[in-house]
Amino acid sequence: MNSGTPVTIVMIEDDEGHARLIEKNIRRAGVSNQIVPFTDGTSALNYLMGDDGSGQVSSGRQLLILLDLNLPDMTGVDILEKVKNNEHTRRSPVVVLTTTDDQREIQRCYDLGANVYITKPVDYDGFANAIRQLGLFFSVIQVPEAD
Amino acid sequence: MPISNNAFVRATTLLLLVGLVALLGIVGTTIWLVERSQGYFNEVVVARETRSAATDLRNALGDAETGQRGFLLTGNEAYLAPYNSAVEQLPELRERVGAVLAPYPQLQEPLAELNAAIQYKLDEMARTIELTRSGDRDTALAIVNSGAGNDSMQNTREFLISLVDSSETRLDIGVADQRSAATALRWVTLLGALVIVGVVGGSAWTVRAYTRELAAARREVEAANQSLEERVQERTADLGKANEEIQRFAYIVTHDLRAPLVNIMGFTSELETSVATLRDYMSEREESGDPKFAEARLAATEDLPEAISFIRSSTRKMDALINAILKISREGRRQLKPETINLAEIINASVSAIQHQVTENGGSVETEVKVARLITDRLSLEQVLGNLLDNAVKYQEPNRPLTVSIRALPAERNRLNIEVTDNGRGIASTDHERVFELFRRSGSQSQPGEGIGLAHVRTMVRSLGGEITLSSELGVGTTFRINLPRDLRSYLGSNAK
Repeated sequence: MNSGTPVTIVMIEDDEGHARLIEKNIRRAGVSNQIVPFTDGTSALNYLMGDDGSGQVSSGRQLLILLDLNLPDMTGVDILEKVKNNEHTRRSPVVVLTTTDDQREIQRCYDLGANVYITKPVDYDGFANAIRQLGLFFSVIQVPEAD
Repeated sequence: MPISNNAFVRATTLLLLVGLVALLGIVGTTIWLVERSQGYFNEVVVARETRSAATDLRNALGDAETGQRGFLLTGNEAYLAPYNSAVEQLPELRERVGAVLAPYPQLQEPLAELNAAIQYKLDEMARTIELTRSGDRDTALAIVNSGAGNDSMQNTREFLISLVDSSETRLDIGVADQRSAATALRWVTLLGALVIVGVVGGSAWTVRAYTRELAAARREVEAANQSLEERVQERTADLGKANEEIQRFAYIVTHDLRAPLVNIMGFTSELETSVATLRDYMSEREESGDPKFAEARLAATEDLPEAISFIRSSTRKMDALINAILKISREGRRQLKPETINLAEIINASVSAIQHQVTENGGSVETEVKVARLITDRLSLEQVLGNLLDNAVKYQEPNRPLTVSIRALPAERNRLNIEVTDNGRGIASTDHERVFELFRRSGSQSQPGEGIGLAHVRTMVRSLGGEITLSSELGVGTTFRINLPRDLRSYLGSNAK
């Protein structure tokens, strides 16, 4: 990835199995960036927005957010909305990676500013393949530094 | 009080009967009274004639006597004029009286006496006049003086007076009778009129009540109809909702099932990789004679790979099932887009998709489309036809060339039938219903498949407002018959969504 501050991948995924599989496959693609995993929305928002919720903590960070929509305490859409409405985090790319393939949901995510929307393939080979390609994508993507 | 049809008919019939009787009564009484009135009138006429005849006779006799006396006193012939004219009239007048009294036998005797008295008087008068003319006036006066003529004259007069009196009485009675008859007629007419008015009023009331009853009944029927329609609509809406819920349920369940399945498959795959490494390593190791090593090697080279392969095949199967449910539920959630479709075009497109496979084995496909257009969801219809044709190819009898025929024919109530007939291996009669169920397959499982095709087809046909049935004979062939509405919009419209 780009030079300077290394990009941190924030993975918000409540299924730990999925999280592990995602991580494994990203690593297989040769991406060695730090991955910060969260299994619920509250702690993820805490990390992104800080204790005061201003998002000040993220300034200076280079973040790439991997987001699942089905979370135990809130929907990923809420997080997406908050991230894209915060001046500090809005430039961070958000990749929505979820099982939902409902057209309206997909549209809504893009409307809210999601950068990529990927439906998790059901078969593992497809899944692993998609994640690996996502890893390749991460390795070439330019992530801006949050203000 | 509700008036039943029967009661209404009885009541109106009764009223009509009463009205008819009243009318007949009036007519009969009137005729009778008029008849009687006629009788009274005739009597009055007779009485009047009697009176006038009697009076005329009396007057004529009086005239005759006056003339005779005048002549006897003066001897002047001029005084005889009244006598002469009276004598001339008398026969006729007497005849009139006789005629008037002819119908009364009890009066014949007095009449004879009257005639005798009149005759006697006339004879006396004629003799005295003759005597006076011949100059024997004294004898004539003596005759007059004898009083015999006067007596008979007196008798005659009394009889005639009594006759006039009785006539007058009869006249009075006749007039009174006539008046009472007229009064009776008036009363009868009035009464009859009242009865008829009553009957008409009664009928009008009955008809009105009945009509009201009918109107009320009709309103009730309309209301019942309305509520029935509402209930049907409610039920349909409920069903639609329930169906939607089931679809949602299936969708959510399959989605939630997918997440753990991804893990199972993913880690199985990871495990497989690890086991492969382990197996390679173990199989390369030299036999050391340690029984534990032998066990571990057996586990690594046989047991673990076998277990993993079973997990794999099971998860693969489960994945296929979940996908099938997902596919059907997604199909059920898809918004149908009714559009005008050229049926022949769609059928030909579906046929051309399998044409290659059919002709490869020397088979043939024929189509017969007698319905030009219909309005339905294109994608659903294409999938239905494609599925049926795929099945025809898939389950053909290997030792004879496949022939498939597709026929589209109009059906009643603005619907149409599409029949897909093949000469494939057929479906046993016990499985005719079962093949449409999810994950159920019929016959020898020689072909790969999950048993979702026909379940999917039935779901789609039903969502198009149609029904699919089959007739089949094992080893001979199968015919699928799809009955569809020609206009999907009318079905969607009636299916309150």
